[in-house]
Amino acid sequence: MSKELIRLANCTMAFDEDIVLDKINLSIKDKEFLTLLGPSGCGKTTTLRIIGGFQTPTAGDVWFDGVRINAVPPHKRTINTVFQKYALFPHLNVYENIAFGLRIPKADASGKKVKLPEEEIDQRVTEMLEIVNLRGFDKRRITQLSGGQQQRVAIARALVNRPKVLLLDEPLGALDLKLRKDMQNELKRIQKAMEITFIYVTHDQEEALAMSDTVVVMDAGKIQQIGSPEDIYNEPQNAFVADFIGESNIIDGIMRSDGVVEIFNRRFHCLDGGFDRDEPVDVVIRPEDVDIVPEDQGQLKGTVTSVTFKGMQYDIIVDFYGFKWLIQTTDLSPVGSRIGIKIDPDGIHVMKKSEYSGIFGDYSSYSEEYEEITSFEPDEEERGDEE
Amino acid sequence: MKKQNRLGSRLLIGLMFLFLYAPILLLIVFSFNAGDSSAVWKGFSLHWYGKLFQNRLIMESVYTTLLVSLLATAIATAAGTFAAIGLYSLGRKKREALLTVNNIPMMNADIVTGVSLCLFFVAFFQGWGTFARWFNDLQSVVELPERLVLGFGTLLLAHVSFNIPYVILNVAPKLRQMDRNLMDAAQDLGCTWMQAFWKVMLPEIKPGIVSGALIAFTMSIDDFIISYFTAGSASSTLAMTIYGMTKKRVTPEINAVSTLLFLSVLVLLVLSNLKEVRAEARSRKGAAHRSTALEKLGQRIAEPRFRWVRRGTAAALACAFLFTVVVLAKETGSRPVVNVCSWGEYIDEDLITQFEDTTGIRVNYQTAESNETLYSLLKSGGADYDVVVPSDYMIGRLIQEDMLDKLDYSQIPNFSLIDDRFKHLSYDPANEYTVPYAWGTLGIIYNTAMVEEEITSWSALYDDRYAGNVLLINNSRDALGEALLYLGYSVNTTDEGEIRQAYELVADANRRGVFQGRVMDEVLQKMEGGNAAIATYYAGDYISMLENNEDLAFVIPEEGSNWFVDAMCMLKDAPHQKEAHMWMNFIASTESNLMNMDYIGYASPNREALERYPAYYEELYGEELEPEIYDIMVTPPEILERCEAYLNLPAATLNLYNTLWTQMGVN
Repeated sequence: MSKELIRLANCTMAFDEDIVLDKINLSIKDKEFLTLLGPSGCGKTTTLRIIGGFQTPTAGDVWFDGVRINAVPPHKRTINTVFQKYALFPHLNVYENIAFGLRIPKADASGKKVKLPEEEIDQRVTEMLEIVNLRGFDKRRITQLSGGQQQRVAIARALVNRPKVLLLDEPLGALDLKLRKDMQNELKRIQKAMEITFIYVTHDQEEALAMSDTVVVMDAGKIQQIGSPEDIYNEPQNAFVADFIGESNIIDGIMRSDGVVEIFNRRFHCLDGGFDRDEPVDVVIRPEDVDIVPEDQGQLKGTVTSVTFKGMQYDIIVDFYGFKWLIQTTDLSPVGSRIGIKIDPDGIHVMKKSEYSGIFGDYSSYSEEYEEITSFEPDEEERGDEE
Repeated sequence: MKKQNRLGSRLLIGLMFLFLYAPILLLIVFSFNAGDSSAVWKGFSLHWYGKLFQNRLIMESVYTTLLVSLLATAIATAAGTFAAIGLYSLGRKKREALLTVNNIPMMNADIVTGVSLCLFFVAFFQGWGTFARWFNDLQSVVELPERLVLGFGTLLLAHVSFNIPYVILNVAPKLRQMDRNLMDAAQDLGCTWMQAFWKVMLPEIKPGIVSGALIAFTMSIDDFIISYFTAGSASSTLAMTIYGMTKKRVTPEINAVSTLLFLSVLVLLVLSNLKEVRAEARSRKGAAHRSTALEKLGQRIAEPRFRWVRRGTAAALACAFLFTVVVLAKETGSRPVVNVCSWGEYIDEDLITQFEDTTGIRVNYQTAESNETLYSLLKSGGADYDVVVPSDYMIGRLIQEDMLDKLDYSQIPNFSLIDDRFKHLSYDPANEYTVPYAWGTLGIIYNTAMVEEEITSWSALYDDRYAGNVLLINNSRDALGEALLYLGYSVNTTDEGEIRQAYELVADANRRGVFQGRVMDEVLQKMEGGNAAIATYYAGDYISMLENNEDLAFVIPEEGSNWFVDAMCMLKDAPHQKEAHMWMNFIASTESNLMNMDYIGYASPNREALERYPAYYEELYGEELEPEIYDIMVTPPEILERCEAYLNLPAATLNLYNTLWTQMGVN
């Protein structure tokens, strides 16, 4: 798992004047499950297409197993792709869709084009149908399959070629929530069983956290952070990552000394250090890390302005000195009540100021933002640029 | 109430379909008419279908039409499909702009497309000629042809160019519907772009390609105007031939060929619709689909072990196609040819065959529909004719503009057989350019069942007694000429006052509602069917009208009339001068003149033929030719004296004619 398989070195992609990728550097290890995560238009699909060979970077190099592959066309790469909305061939049945790649004559060691014998094709397709739980579906037409079944065919069609890397472009985007959860597990299982590298593109942070070994958070053509799901969630590098991954209250603060940060003119203990004295910083406080206490015991005091019941917990919005926080709690505090809060030092994460500082604001428009994050939006803009 | 409404709407739909299909039904019915009229039913017969397949002009043009349509469709479909694919790999803005540009030629008037293509080809030929001369002077290894002309090649290019937009228009929506990732997916799975195109894109956009090809094919078959301007002299499409033939009347052969054309398009349409319906049913039934025998055969053939069968078939088809093209090219390439342009229905086609058989020279026989169109065709420089057969006044104009070559009469010994009356006429006083072809007179045709008196004067045309029953000839020169004659002026007057006076006479009668309409060819149907009482037309056509309606009479009014001569001339720098002389000599012979006179009904200028015609007629039909009929065909000298030929009028007078004639249309 430690060997490097793919490296993107200073990859830039520009369509006309529009820079979609800006000097990306990325190293992908063998047999790793890596997720490219980011909002629409962040460059994640473009990165995937560069690895797949559908696009050649304007500048920079792509290395595969130690070989530079910038100019190698897709059909000569040992990489296969599961496309957005599957891109199955409508005029072929399930069996022929999966067998498609196997029927293309491939050059053998001597450079002569050879066809696979029909028995081998049959054996491999059957095996694949088994793996994706579609036994008995081989003669079905594509239009007769449900979304989840089409998804499995798309995966089988890619994997039957025994690629070293499987690229997945928002593969679960078109499925409903329940099916999506099942398929997440299924994909993870398949990846383990086949022992190959998965590069997965999604804008759904929960999906990314649940499945990946490594998450690459992208925005505006740049990589914002690379790390394990835990790192990304607990130690976001800037306000963008903090905001994009999970819910977070991002507050302006001043680092008074190592371990002491000032918010709303009150000093809090934290675990971070290494900042200049009195340096302005962004402070991230996750909604679940806030304890509600009676008003007189609180480090900060505020008024509850809205309460939403979420099943497991209540999402409550609290106004502290004009800044609205999201707090998740199991105890109901009615709207209009005054409450106090306490935050443990490990619930406070301090970040350097960045270009993203100050743009995310507070939770005064919470519900809309929530909608925006969970609703599925295919990356059309990104594709639109390539036309 | 509701029921009534439904009845009303059904009636309306019925009427609509009647309006749409009645003309076609009528045409189909009359294609089985035993007689040659389009107005009088004389019993069922397949006679015209038989004649159709013997009609060399039509069969050749059918062949040309099919060949050009198939080739143009194939080329345009391939080019259009790839162009559409190319458009879809461009950015949205560029693509939309280009698609709009693609739509313009389809909206463009055919006439504009035709004329501009013709101009383009001619300009290119001139440029090429200059280049080829320079190149040939420079070296002697390769000899480039210096003279290029309009012909099958340009016709094909024109068809390809107007077909491509239709293919793009049909393929583009299919590409838009196609998931853009499909091509990526195929390449991802190991296909090169070309393999992906064949295996994935083609099956997806096939319906668009097929419908695009079908539309292109129909458009090609259908096209007249663009072909007309780009076909040159050596090839003629079916539509062009039919149009040329309608100059005089719609013959039942045209009905027959139109019926066949209509039926074949219908079958094509039904087939493509059936296919769609079946495809839909299949996709609805889904798994229940069972392959038909044909599909099974297709699948079997597609198996790898039949590869040689497939390749063999493809190769055989390619060879057959190549062979056809080579034979075709050779046919026109190595044999001597002569390009003739005449009027529709103006020759007994056996003459063409006879000439070809005896001399080995191939005759490309084309038709134009009027002197004026012939003139513009010649002026455009696209035509490559050797021999044309214009009328007197147009010959004058062509000579004046130096568009004709002098003839070498030593190569036309039969010229001596032409009656002296038809030599040294005003349009060619020294008789250096022309060999007369046929002549005739304009007169009044009237229905004796509808007109009690015996008509002797042009005044009948303007008489209120026949209001609504007079057909005015739709040709400014003839219509105003008749009025000029009635007023006692010359048909060739350039005096504006006299012409205006004649115009007032006609316009006044028009205001009073004397004229039923202005007609050319319809005169035949209308008079034969008894739908009008009085008309003016040519003596030759009267003879054929009489066969369908015995009540018709013909008279040359006492004020005199127009008489015309059509004569063969050779165009300046004609490429086949020797062959042109041989053709003219052949046509001038007594035998040819007899055959032509019998076929077209116009008088011959050949002295012997005029004398021998009654005997020839008797021998041919076993009955005597009535002297009155002969006198109408061959106007006797004493009547001909009263008649005047048209001269080429100065431009100012022609303009006046045009202005007045247009004015009358408004009033």
